Amino acid sequence: MDLEPSDVIVGLMVAVLGLLGLLLIARAWDDEMYLFGMVLAGFAVMFDFGLLRRHYDRRDAALAARRGGHE
Amino acid sequence: MSEHALPGGPVLYNDAVVKKFVIACLFWAIAAFLVGVYIASELAWPQLNIAPYLNFGRLRPVHTSAAIFAFGGSALIGTSFYVVQRTCRARLWGGDALANFVFWGYQIFIVLAATSYLMGFSKSREYAEPEWHLDLLLVLVWVCYLLIYLGTLMRRAEPHIYVANWFYLSFIITIALLVIVNNLGIPISPYSAKSYSWFSGVQDAMVQWWYGHNAVGFFLTVPFLGMMYYFIPKAANRPIYSYRLSIVHFWALIFIYIWAGPHHLLWTALPDWTQTLGMAFSIMLWMPSWGGMINGLMTLSGAWDKLRTDPGLRFSVTAVGFYGMATFEGPAMSIRSVNALVHYSDWVIGHVHSGTLGWVAFIVFGALYYLVPNLWGRKGLYSVRLAAWHYWIATLGIVFYIASMWVAGLMEGLMWRAYDRFGFLKYSFVQVVVAEHPFMVLRMIGGVLFTIGAVLMIYNLWMTVNSPSTEAPRATPVAIGLPAGAVVAGE
Repeated sequence: MDLEPSDVIVGLMVAVLGLLGLLLIARAWDDEMYLFGMVLAGFAVMFDFGLLRRHYDRRDAALAARRGGHE
Repeated sequence: MSEHALPGGPVLYNDAVVKKFVIACLFWAIAAFLVGVYIASELAWPQLNIAPYLNFGRLRPVHTSAAIFAFGGSALIGTSFYVVQRTCRARLWGGDALANFVFWGYQIFIVLAATSYLMGFSKSREYAEPEWHLDLLLVLVWVCYLLIYLGTLMRRAEPHIYVANWFYLSFIITIALLVIVNNLGIPISPYSAKSYSWFSGVQDAMVQWWYGHNAVGFFLTVPFLGMMYYFIPKAANRPIYSYRLSIVHFWALIFIYIWAGPHHLLWTALPDWTQTLGMAFSIMLWMPSWGGMINGLMTLSGAWDKLRTDPGLRFSVTAVGFYGMATFEGPAMSIRSVNALVHYSDWVIGHVHSGTLGWVAFIVFGALYYLVPNLWGRKGLYSVRLAAWHYWIATLGIVFYIASMWVAGLMEGLMWRAYDRFGFLKYSFVQVVVAEHPFMVLRMIGGVLFTIGAVLMIYNLWMTVNSPSTEAPRATPVAIGLPAGAVVAGE
């Protein structure tokens, strides 16, 4: 199953946010910015893993449907 | 996701993201109301101010942001996604990933904003408290929301753009503009959350209240009118009373609203002509506001009997009544001589809550009672009687709230301006505070009643989704398509 273009574009955008979060964690001047960086990084990881999971769920569903059609 | 066979082929709507927003809306409703009750209690019993995290100063923006942006915003984005798909007969543009990003990005913004207030970070601008980094996150999410909305409108299968979409779209565009301009600032470092406004002095105040009033106008009014123009015709199964009036309502409202901000700065250092301009435009707002209210109410023509049997519709119609009342009161309060009495008093708080509880929350409750059974494919509400209880308890709560604030506000205004025969102020500030105490308690009781009503609603909606008694027979089609207004008016 092909990759959805929106998954790739949004996934990359969120990954950039995650990297920005890591930068903020490393160089934060205050607790607020440190927390912001942590949340951005954590959100990016969870969101992108969610995209991967949904991609493979869709692929598995398509494969199962194709197998079902042959039987 | 639901699939609807319509002329031109089936359309697979993205209802998963709408459901997420509905759930978030319910969660934030309770959070906002509980914090509201707590800070109302703080005003009645100041010893409840527990420093530093539970101070009124830190909790108040948590309440306003949770109510306006979290509860109201989730309801608006969710219903706008529901409405735009059905009125355009098109799935949301940008794929599921972009819609999910808007949902999670928005929720994270809200949680981070609330956390930052509790930690003591704030720009001290009303309704625009989040610091610069959170504003940037919001702008990113909002631009994605705009792209989804515009993209869906552009790929529509219906030739006509239904009027509700006009209201929703103006909300999305104007809020983007307002947030960007009002929050222009200079951070002390890219790695610090502290920033200073780009504007200064009276210009700063003017920009803030241009934003502040239009947050009321374009967040708390215009998009909820979009909700009104979709869900009232759907629930009543009647066309909009006058589709032409809805278009006049739209253009008149958005043209006039944007100029009314200076009425928040009457009797200040703002130039006199600007104050007069704000006052004049505020009074002009009576016309489109009442035009819209009449249009909403008259849509019930021939279907008034449904108010007895459909508590959801009762919420929506009562909301329109409160809209009319609040939009009459607002321009009256913006008249200089009236403002001299009521400004800085609790009347303003009563006015705001007749709008937010009576108009905003009630129109959302009406939409939710319609939306939840339809979204989850249930045959109806779990308990109509429970929804009726919700209606009456919440209405009683609002009456307690706004009546106590009106009386307290008038009393405050009159006590502040009372002079003795030597020309000295008759009452000290603390005497006014002491006199207000009973009204603070009554207001808190009103908030408790409103919260109890919301808890009943959540239980009812939970059971609607999960109870076997509401299971729809498989053949029952889910309610779809344009509201009767668009079909019947045919304009």
